[in-house]
Amino acid sequence: MKTLRSIAGYSWAFLALFITLATFMGSPYFSRKLASASGVTISPWFSGGEVAAIRDHGSYTTKIRRPVFDGLISERKSGFVQIDWESEGALPVEIEERIDRNSDKAHDFTIRLNTSTGKAQLTAHDSSVKSVERVYRIKKGWAVRVLLRKQQG
Amino acid sequence: MKTEQKHSEANAPQRSILRTFLLALPMMILTFMMLSHGKPPSDPQRLFALITTYLFFNVFFFLMLRTGRTDRYRAPVFITYAVAFVISFISHLVEVRGSMALTESTMFQGETPFCHIVIPMTLIPAALTRTIIFPGTIVGGYASIATMFVLWIGASLALGRGFCGWACFFGGLDDGFSRLFRKPLIKRINPSWSYLPFGILLAVVLTSAITLSPTYCTWLCPYKTVTEFAEVTSFKILIQTIIFVSLFLGLVVVLPILMKRRTQCGLFCPFGAFQSFTNKVNPFQIRIDTDKCVKCGRCSQICPTFSMNDAGIAKGRSRMTCIKCGKCVDACPKKAISFNIKGTSLTGSAETSRVLFLYPAFLFLATMAGGNVSDAIVRIIRLITTGSMV
Repeated sequence: MKTLRSIAGYSWAFLALFITLATFMGSPYFSRKLASASGVTISPWFSGGEVAAIRDHGSYTTKIRRPVFDGLISERKSGFVQIDWESEGALPVEIEERIDRNSDKAHDFTIRLNTSTGKAQLTAHDSSVKSVERVYRIKKGWAVRVLLRKQQG
Repeated sequence: MKTEQKHSEANAPQRSILRTFLLALPMMILTFMMLSHGKPPSDPQRLFALITTYLFFNVFFFLMLRTGRTDRYRAPVFITYAVAFVISFISHLVEVRGSMALTESTMFQGETPFCHIVIPMTLIPAALTRTIIFPGTIVGGYASIATMFVLWIGASLALGRGFCGWACFFGGLDDGFSRLFRKPLIKRINPSWSYLPFGILLAVVLTSAITLSPTYCTWLCPYKTVTEFAEVTSFKILIQTIIFVSLFLGLVVVLPILMKRRTQCGLFCPFGAFQSFTNKVNPFQIRIDTDKCVKCGRCSQICPTFSMNDAGIAKGRSRMTCIKCGKCVDACPKKAISFNIKGTSLTGSAETSRVLFLYPAFLFLATMAGGNVSDAIVRIIRLITTGSMV
């Protein structure tokens, strides 16, 4: 039994070197495999959530992301919706857009963004829309997060 | 202390140069492959940096094997790694973003490099929501989440908490500061403090799961001071920044100097506490031969992470928080402490166990540090020749 444990111990110790080599040499492969096998994504609280609708305005596009209320187990009472304005060239200095955040054919708020100053004004048409949480630059334009309260029912 | 050190050195096995060379040869080949990726760079500055890095690592590994001393030659490489990481990382940030500050834009576009300390905080949300609560990228880009997870899994299987002594790119900072004074000014602390990291681990894991945000990174990480921190745009961020800087000065600079211990790693780091559990799933451990031990207490006095105590010594084992740095092995005047492979007896060859541990441990250190050390050399050359690191 002692010899067997000893052999197992040394084999395990030798294996540690191969694990180390495999870790570094196979890192790109294992990383991709780990990502695809686990199916994990970046939390929508950071990524902004999946894009739910795209509006093409010719010189620029508006991406309306799904409202994020995600909690650990159930949904939270408050969340946000993120709107991205992107353009291959320059965005118009003033953008004003009415947003239907939940695709119920009713506009929930109107947002006006000044792309030169990064200031946004919000007009809520629905009691669940609270305020502008943050405005920030993205690679091809600007993004705005609007705070929401979860609607009952 | 000097007498003990001399005594310990006198007892250390000295291999012949030829035997040491033969034993170090596989590491020379492996580090060449890892550092050069099989293709040395054509840029002369990068080539010079690579050769310097390669020689630096292999000289220290050679000395480790020849003298039988571990920590003495691990520490300079490990400390250099941490300093080089800071130089390389900050220069990279300045190059890419223009500053160390992390803007909202950078964060929400998933461009924040992922760090291993976040791992324990991401596990519960990942299991329940299948999302990672960190503003990084899953695959691809600089320090992606999947890559860090793969490195962590590999290191845990191969080294356990040895990760903290050989692979962590931050640990060398408090390790370095802890070696500045010859004697500690604070010699004793209540042993209960060594359980604090487990409390912090529990607190940050729970609060991160509840808030779906990595609370340690947002509020407590001292290393933000030397890597990246949120742009100060509000009073809240100002408070967070003050906390980061205070913790850095306290836990990474001042306390290590005063106590000659790795206080951030031993008394605060939640990842270190988490990594302690992985000591159970890898083959290497530190054992004490109770027949040889004279209970002088030297190992408990010098252990950087408070992993040696009387109860453990009586049982012939270090605590589960042991980072396998080898400091106690080097310092023991009776050579009662040794690296050991689980399942093997203490009467077997301790040196074989040590060499079998050193290979994966040093390879981890050299591979993770290689890019940073090499890049830091290039940036220092640039600073000298052009006045700018970027």
